[in-house]
Amino acid sequence: MRRSRTWTLILAAGLAFFVALVGLPFWWVVSGSFKLPQEIIARVPTMIPRSFTWQHYDRLLSSSDYGTYLVNSLIVSSLSALITLMLAIPAGYAFFRLRFRGREALYRAILLAYAFPSIVVLIPLFTMFARMGLVDTRLSLVIVNVAFALPFAIWMLRSFFGSIPKEIEEAARLDGGPPLTVLWRIMIPLTAPGIAAVAIFAFVTSWTEYVFASVMILSDARRTIPVGFSGIIGQYQVDWGLLLAGASLAVVPVVIVFALIGRWFVTGLTEGAVK
Amino acid sequence: MARNPILALAFVAPALLFLAAILVWPLFSAFLLSLQNVRGVGTSGQWVGFENYRFIVTSGAFWDSAGLSLIWVLANAVVQTALALAAALILHQKFPGARIARTWIILTWIVPTVVVVMIWRWLFSTSGGMINPILVQTGLIDGPVGFFSTPETAFATLVFINSWRWFPFIALMMLAGLTRIPSDLYEAARIDGAGPVRRFTRITWPLLAPTLTVLLIIGTLLSFNVFDIVWLMTQGGPAGGTRTLPVLIYETAFRSYRMSEAATIAVLSTLLLMAFAVLATRSLARAGDER
Repeated sequence: MRRSRTWTLILAAGLAFFVALVGLPFWWVVSGSFKLPQEIIARVPTMIPRSFTWQHYDRLLSSSDYGTYLVNSLIVSSLSALITLMLAIPAGYAFFRLRFRGREALYRAILLAYAFPSIVVLIPLFTMFARMGLVDTRLSLVIVNVAFALPFAIWMLRSFFGSIPKEIEEAARLDGGPPLTVLWRIMIPLTAPGIAAVAIFAFVTSWTEYVFASVMILSDARRTIPVGFSGIIGQYQVDWGLLLAGASLAVVPVVIVFALIGRWFVTGLTEGAVK
Repeated sequence: MARNPILALAFVAPALLFLAAILVWPLFSAFLLSLQNVRGVGTSGQWVGFENYRFIVTSGAFWDSAGLSLIWVLANAVVQTALALAAALILHQKFPGARIARTWIILTWIVPTVVVVMIWRWLFSTSGGMINPILVQTGLIDGPVGFFSTPETAFATLVFINSWRWFPFIALMMLAGLTRIPSDLYEAARIDGAGPVRRFTRITWPLLAPTLTVLLIIGTLLSFNVFDIVWLMTQGGPAGGTRTLPVLIYETAFRSYRMSEAATIAVLSTLLLMAFAVLATRSLARAGDER
């Protein structure tokens, strides 16, 4: 494939624009978290730090339970992703392959789950969880996060299953496999990138969720990162150094997760694609 | 094709029951709440029929917020789609590092919204923020601007921040649509002497259109419901300039302690969104039948 010089230039300029749009804010935050306070609020901001200090991280880790928040977030997000998959894989497969009455209507109804403001269910859910003794537990967050990730997960999985050549599945069925075996032995391995994409979607939905986590969790020891982080904002209104360090630490774990399995997210999405 | 109702039930039921318990039932409770006059959380009230609805529909605050929500959805749709389409078209090209770019563009979406808010509040601030000095240096503005001090600039800034968070996700979904377009179509067009612009208008755009429509519908629902970014950034201010419907619901419930009125606004917004979603998916289904 050959491109003319003009198009290469346009492409490069566009790419530079997006790299700056996405990358610069993160660079400023992470590099800022190592600057001395006076450099952070300097009238003329520095692109490359002139000073270096760990003091913001020291203060962050000694004055708050940031480590605990991190662990809580990891537990809640991983469990949410796992349960979402366990519910969405069979449902997505059934909506794709099995014929039953009301299939299309049900399938469309599921997507309506995104057609109402999620705060609507906040009050009734809180009352319900209070009755069941689930308030102030990490389980309550898992339940809520799964509910919000599930409709989209089912929808994505159905189109992933749809992207598998029919002949492969037919062959497996002719070999005498019951649907469950076909799903487990053939369909799940073949849609692995798509399943990974759904898992990441559920993980991230849960990782970034703030509103429910701020209402359902009462004790400091069970807070997740978003709520713990907003606690720091409230406590120290102008301590930018502390906030930048907190922001950097909130970004690092997802970046690690993404460095390990992130490319599956893209392959998964592009192979399954939207229908 | 398998026709096995019991198996289908076993596969679908867990997910559906879960959604029914966690989303549908609370939604129904919210509707019941809207027919009463409950004020604080956990207090009880009397049944008042559709009194709340009459009150809300005739109140200016509801329609102000509904208008803001409409502008919010439209502005986000335009900004997000434009950014996402440009990004997707670039990422679809072959260039060194394309794979890394495709993976890491999503960075803005995997960061907690609270952190997104903090990052941009700092960058837009007048002390130490990067945006003001850059704009002043390039001569776009004369002096530092308080981006959150007037309703209009606060609203526009929020649209930018929300779009910044969501556009990579949408871009990847578009990229998924782009990779499905058979490459021999482009080859054929090239042999016929079609330039890049022509290839885009004749092949890419028409074939990507269904994907774009689906994403616009989902994007509309998602951005209508955005609450945390707005609330954490401006709390609906200044002067109510960013008080979209979800913010109004939250304020009414947890600031003014009028649970039933909040539930009423919530039910009304749900009806608006559902109507939109049903109409949109129906027109989509019809478009699908025609193909």
